[in-house]
Amino acid sequence: MSRLRAAAPISVLAAALVAVLATGCSAPGKDKGSSGDDTGPIKIALADAQSGQLSSLGAWELKGVKLAVQEWNSKGGINGRQIELGVFDTQADPTIGTTLARKIASEGYIAMLGTAESAVTVAMAPILKQEAIPNITSGQSPGLVAVGSEFLFLNGPTSTTYDETLAKYIVDSQGLKSIAMITNNGSYGKGEHDAFLKALGTRGVTPVADQVVTTDQKDFSAALTTIRQKNPKVIFLGAEEVESGLIVKQARDLGITAPFAGAAPQGTPVFLNTAGAKNVEGTIVSSPYLSNDVSDASKTFAAAYKTAYNEDAELHGAKAYDGAQIMLTALKNSNVAKGKDLAAAIRATKYKGLLGDFAYDQTGVGIFATSIGTIKGGKLTAAQS
Amino acid sequence: MQVFLQTVIGGVSLGAIYALVALGFSLVYRTMGLVNFAHGNVVTVGAYLASTFYLSTKLPFALAMVAAIVVTGVIGLVIERVLRPLENKDFDLMLIGTIGFGIVLDALIIMIWGATGRAVPSPVPAAPLQLLGLRIRTYDLVVLAIAAVATVLLVLFLQRTKRGAAMQAVAMDHEAATAVGIHVGRSNAIAFMIGAGLAALAGGLVGPLLYVSPALGGTLGIKGFAAAILGGFGNIPGAILGGIAIGILDAYTAGHFQGYSELVTFLVFTVVIMIRPTGIFGERTVNRA
Repeated sequence: MSRLRAAAPISVLAAALVAVLATGCSAPGKDKGSSGDDTGPIKIALADAQSGQLSSLGAWELKGVKLAVQEWNSKGGINGRQIELGVFDTQADPTIGTTLARKIASEGYIAMLGTAESAVTVAMAPILKQEAIPNITSGQSPGLVAVGSEFLFLNGPTSTTYDETLAKYIVDSQGLKSIAMITNNGSYGKGEHDAFLKALGTRGVTPVADQVVTTDQKDFSAALTTIRQKNPKVIFLGAEEVESGLIVKQARDLGITAPFAGAAPQGTPVFLNTAGAKNVEGTIVSSPYLSNDVSDASKTFAAAYKTAYNEDAELHGAKAYDGAQIMLTALKNSNVAKGKDLAAAIRATKYKGLLGDFAYDQTGVGIFATSIGTIKGGKLTAAQS
Repeated sequence: MQVFLQTVIGGVSLGAIYALVALGFSLVYRTMGLVNFAHGNVVTVGAYLASTFYLSTKLPFALAMVAAIVVTGVIGLVIERVLRPLENKDFDLMLIGTIGFGIVLDALIIMIWGATGRAVPSPVPAAPLQLLGLRIRTYDLVVLAIAAVATVLLVLFLQRTKRGAAMQAVAMDHEAATAVGIHVGRSNAIAFMIGAGLAALAGGLVGPLLYVSPALGGTLGIKGFAAAILGGFGNIPGAILGGIAIGILDAYTAGHFQGYSELVTFLVFTVVIMIRPTGIFGERTVNRA
């Protein structure tokens, strides 16, 4: 297996080299090839993990985006042109992401949707900026804003918003001050850790325990036993779906009864199934999309999703759907512009989406609110505060 | 103290899984001198098969495990049969062949079961045992017991049966073994079959502890490989000790070095291997390459 891994970078390097040679012919930032011209389909790329441990995110995103694209295509596309969606598998790996960014540029895609992993998007951003390809990502790390690319947009709130809302609910509304933290050291977990710690700091609360785990870790006995000794009232959890599920399952086995609190991953079916429905009861979730019943738009979306894929829609599909809708609306409003003009059109788009009302600021963030929900009887429901 | 002991308990249960993975690596290596790089992927296949028989076919967990072990064992036989013509020609090709099989299995898993993965509920739903403030999961005890039984059976097979003795002979000197009429190919096939069966056992047992996804075998494979090296590659008791040691080391560094635990685990591993290149029990190195 170790040999297998070692072989990958070489092929990636080779592919990158080919991509560099291919793109080297045309000046950066200029129109590319005939496919980007005013005839034929409009080419939009979706880059996401379609394999590996985070592939569930990629699968949900693909479903959400496909739904939006089919909707537009069945209505005749944009300016009579159909939308062509190219799917690229990042395997949630930043190195593969950079290769794909060059590939997307050289193949004449004018816009990109995804990825769901902040680290991958951050790695791809400089290339997409250089090639002037606008990108609406599903990442939520504050690190995305720090990149400072005028071509990078988020289809949801950043961790700062998620965790500020969460801290407000836990500390201000519920009056809980004995809080433990367990986060992973990946891009997402690190963002959550810093954002939540900052939100606690402004309220004068210091966590009773601050445990960091790795993204590959499988046994959390040490961290959880330390937390158990501090006997916190609530435990903040900053890790992706599967790892979060394992942490909660092992915490319950160790006799920890305090509820967990977290952001987007804790509202997903994968988290619930990994931990077991009984174990996640009472989990506090900060999410911009609590359920499929919040509005008429979300009910319509959920029904279409159910018809198309025979499964219930959730946050990530909804986010990706919103992102695709914003991209397509901007393309329509700008008469299929490219590069800087398309980026400007996205920034100018005001869109009433499933997550709320989008209005982009200079940093590329379009939405600044989440709601609090709790898991009751295996379902995420709005919390009474 | 409580944290330390609870950490050891957590480490031992995953350590038992690493030990089973290491056994599979070691058994094939001591018989053929071959590192089976597809072993991690075989673990994943075993985990998927066990979870499919358990969740979809609704077999009892024990029966699902047996079925998964049998099917995975057959896959092991197929791998050996395909690679057999290479054995006496070029050993490096055989090594690359196992890497190729790993990639094929990985792709097959995604084709059959999809890339998303699944959660397996624990077959032993009883509450954890409490002992002096420590909590021990009942399922962990089951894992340890099964791992121990599997090891004893394997040792008995290798030492007490004619077929096992033949495999020992091939491991020591395959030319001399051929000379006294032992079928080396058959011996290798059995090593591959048992190795794959052990992988399925590890994968099936780890399913309810973790999350069954195509990436499952990757980490288990690397840790299991490290465990086999640490114990002395090719040595059966060494694989067990190495597995438990890696499990405890991993759990302990996780508690003390948090985000840098993986780094520290493998640094310690490297230092141990530098001091004792043959591992804990590895005085007798097999060299067939």
